[in-house]
Amino acid sequence: MAVSVENYITELQKKAERGELLYIGQSLKRIDDLEKALGSPIYTNDLIPRNTLYAKLVLSKHPHAWIRSIKVSGAAAHPGVRAVLTYMDVPGINESAAIVPDRPLFAHEKVRSTGDIVAAIVAEKEIRAMEARDLVEVEYDPIKPVFDPIEAMGADAPKIHESGNVAKHMRVAKGNIDAGFNEADVIVENTYKTQFQDAVPMETETAFVVPHDDRLLIIGSMQSPHNTQASVAKVLGWPLERVEVIQAVTGGAFGPKSDETPGDVASIAALGALKTGKPVLMSMDRRESMIAHTKRHPSIIKHRTGVKSDGRLTASRVEIYLNGGAYASLGVMVIIRATFHANGPYEIPNVLNDGYKVYTNDTYAGSFRGFGAPQAIFAAESQMDEIARKLNIDPLDLRLMNMLRPGKRTSTGQLMDDSCGLPECVDAVVRSSDYRKKVAEYSTQSGRVRRGIGMAILHHGNSLGPENNDYAYVYLNVDKHGIIHLGTALTEYGSGAVSGIAQIAASVTGIPLEHFVIDRPDTDKHKESGATVASRVTVIGGNAAKNAAIKLKERVISFAASLLDSNPEKIKLADGYAFSTDNPEKTITWNEIAKRSFKAGVSLDVVGYYIAPKCIWDPDTGVGSPYNQYTFGAAVAEVEVDVETGELKILNFHVAYDVGKVINPAQAIGQIYGGSVQGIGYAVMEELIHVDGRVANPNLKDYYIPTSMDIPDKFIPILIEKPGSMGFHGAKVIAEPPIVLPGPAIRNAILNATGMEINGLPITSEKISMNYAQHE
Amino acid sequence: MSNMLIKMKVNGTEREVLVEPEDRLLDVLRDDFGFKSPKEGCGTGDCGLCTVLMDGKPVLSCVTPAFQARDREIVTLEGLNDDPLMKNIEASFRDHHAAQCGFCTPAMEIMGYDLLKAKSKPTKEEVKEAISGTLCRCTGYYDIVDAIYDAGGSE
Ligand code: FES
Ligand code: FES
Repeated sequence: MAVSVENYITELQKKAERGELLYIGQSLKRIDDLEKALGSPIYTNDLIPRNTLYAKLVLSKHPHAWIRSIKVSGAAAHPGVRAVLTYMDVPGINESAAIVPDRPLFAHEKVRSTGDIVAAIVAEKEIRAMEARDLVEVEYDPIKPVFDPIEAMGADAPKIHESGNVAKHMRVAKGNIDAGFNEADVIVENTYKTQFQDAVPMETETAFVVPHDDRLLIIGSMQSPHNTQASVAKVLGWPLERVEVIQAVTGGAFGPKSDETPGDVASIAALGALKTGKPVLMSMDRRESMIAHTKRHPSIIKHRTGVKSDGRLTASRVEIYLNGGAYASLGVMVIIRATFHANGPYEIPNVLNDGYKVYTNDTYAGSFRGFGAPQAIFAAESQMDEIARKLNIDPLDLRLMNMLRPGKRTSTGQLMDDSCGLPECVDAVVRSSDYRKKVAEYSTQSGRVRRGIGMAILHHGNSLGPENNDYAYVYLNVDKHGIIHLGTALTEYGSGAVSGIAQIAASVTGIPLEHFVIDRPDTDKHKESGATVASRVTVIGGNAAKNAAIKLKERVISFAASLLDSNPEKIKLADGYAFSTDNPEKTITWNEIAKRSFKAGVSLDVVGYYIAPKCIWDPDTGVGSPYNQYTFGAAVAEVEVDVETGELKILNFHVAYDVGKVINPAQAIGQIYGGSVQGIGYAVMEELIHVDGRVANPNLKDYYIPTSMDIPDKFIPILIEKPGSMGFHGAKVIAEPPIVLPGPAIRNAILNATGMEINGLPITSEKISMNYAQHE
Repeated sequence: MSNMLIKMKVNGTEREVLVEPEDRLLDVLRDDFGFKSPKEGCGTGDCGLCTVLMDGKPVLSCVTPAFQARDREIVTLEGLNDDPLMKNIEASFRDHHAAQCGFCTPAMEIMGYDLLKAKSKPTKEEVKEAISGTLCRCTGYYDIVDAIYDAGGSE
């Protein structure tokens, strides 16, 4: 290359001036294992040796029953079977719950849903284990079940747990709700309903356990290795340090792999491995996964809104009933987020929200991308269009009049500052979709095939907020070849976020990304960093990576100063070179620095830690600042509806998200595409159907997720940057919010097209055509 | 039930394997021959992630009994590592950030390969149709469609 030395040095100096932003805002390729090894054996089930045994589950046949007896002798005698496990085989505590201790690993005395695990078979071949499942004899005494959450709250409802059927109540109260309704000219009341959604990570939950010495090595598909370690240790009655958990490359997660199921599969494989002395794989098949892991809670959400005739909101009363299924899981956190976001991104002076996560005898619901926001915002944003309709004003104008912007306050009284990019998001999608022109044009159609346009907007509290302590550790260990091993217990399962935090470390240090590798999360090597949930890697992990990188840079500079005979203050690092501003022609490469430091016995290894500022709020009223910062978003959907057949086409979809500061644009947009399409599935096709507590469609033949033919032809993602207070240069989260908006935007577009309000998801063709038949 | 000793050509090499009638081609490829690129996403023929080429045509190896592969030629992603078209496709997947969790990627690449073999410059609509039986839960398909589309016609 004909680059003069002089030019190169100027370039280098320019790069040095970019400082911390050296590699930010660029779509650099990922550097994790996945990127290097696509197609090669990297997932858990790819790694297992031939002498492995396989475990399969025996699930409850009843949604609610006493267990009279369990007889395993027939199954145990089946050819190829090496062990049959029940609650009797648990040496430690038979408990597999995350927060509320309400769920045994193996059912004991009672089953509360058809997802309850009664026994597990360990056999030489998977098919032998499957055959033996039917040979386990369980005698049940059925108890009256309850499936409706509101019914389950009734005084005479069957008791699912001794503590009563409300697993968690959450309240947000601001102002004076009665005064707010008195002030209103119009009151709008509606009830909205949403369904069970299954996350369907393409790789199911799986764990492979190898017994060795007096320890266990567990390799599995999960979001949090430390949670899995704690579950297994509790079940075995072992100290934590005898259980090592490594997260394998993970084929999608979306929430259920942060909840209780990864602990279940690992614990069962661990019990099998100890009983047989052999490695055991417990890999759920799709059916087991869809019945036994956590899903998105179905909801019933009642809205009562007071509004002035000009459109100003005066009062909002919301009641949320989440059908939690039989166990609390992380659902007790889900209801917190749902209740905080229940009024949508608006300033309303008087608010009263009550949220309940209720036990029923359906299979249990818990963590899933969006974490309560998809239900809450579907209801809130549908309600806004109903209010607009009642007042006969444009839904966009109603939103513009009431929505959050700098200077406005949320339902908890939290003041919005300049980091609130909601107005910019709305403006971007309105322009991109030509909303004003189309909404007028479409509102007066008749005939069979009609077009419509609809919008929805959101705020999304970042990271854990009120849910837990929000911290992370990131390690940067340098080997003699100059390879920087980035280690953290935060996990990668598809988003590329861990690679993104390496990008931050590269930017801070001035050492290019290609020198970094990401080590597999391993409980033996990495301190606990909280679960990888709530899209928190970029913000929380990013800050820990930044703090580690600052330390690394200091060490490199002081060592390079000795090599370059200069003062540390004069040393710059950029693009993998160190030089002194006194004599920029004399450079030394990163590899050379690493090699020399190794030889000199100077360690460059560092650890970075970050903990988010505590969120202050009143647990009785919710008032305060439950989240340090918010992501904002707006979406417009344009649809075509055949009112007779109900056929629905999503013609185009425009979204804008205020992500604070983009770390990697291609990855951010990848999250927007993927989350939105999952949200489209939730909006128009996905429903895990329970009939009397039994899952009717636990397979991918009868449970539809979007295929390539179901996505809008035109999809316009827009990124807005209004820096927040917490992330690297203001970065905010992006993985979760996109799943939220398709539901209400599409629902509102159908309203615009047809005048039909459909207040329950999913909006299937049958639902549209049935509604139309009733409407006419 | 009797076991059978069958022969098949896998990724260019003649192989022999003892199979039971219920054994799935997917397991034989993964467990007996060690080719791990075909994945199990459902086991019921509904997700497409176990797709391999049998005599040059895509088949779902989770619902194909192993004995049906007797005297046939099977190709998995591992067998196409040196194929120039597959190299293009793989590079294009990287350029487009088309693999998020990567679990669907081998099957998507095989379907892309099958399409581009037959038609080197397909339309985006044709790409979407070609992968319509292969599920991805992470990407929303856009980057995958672009990756296959851009790998086309570049030979
Ligand atoms: S695993 Fe074969 S089609 Fe899903
Ligand atoms: S990238 Fe995860 S399933 Fe396609």
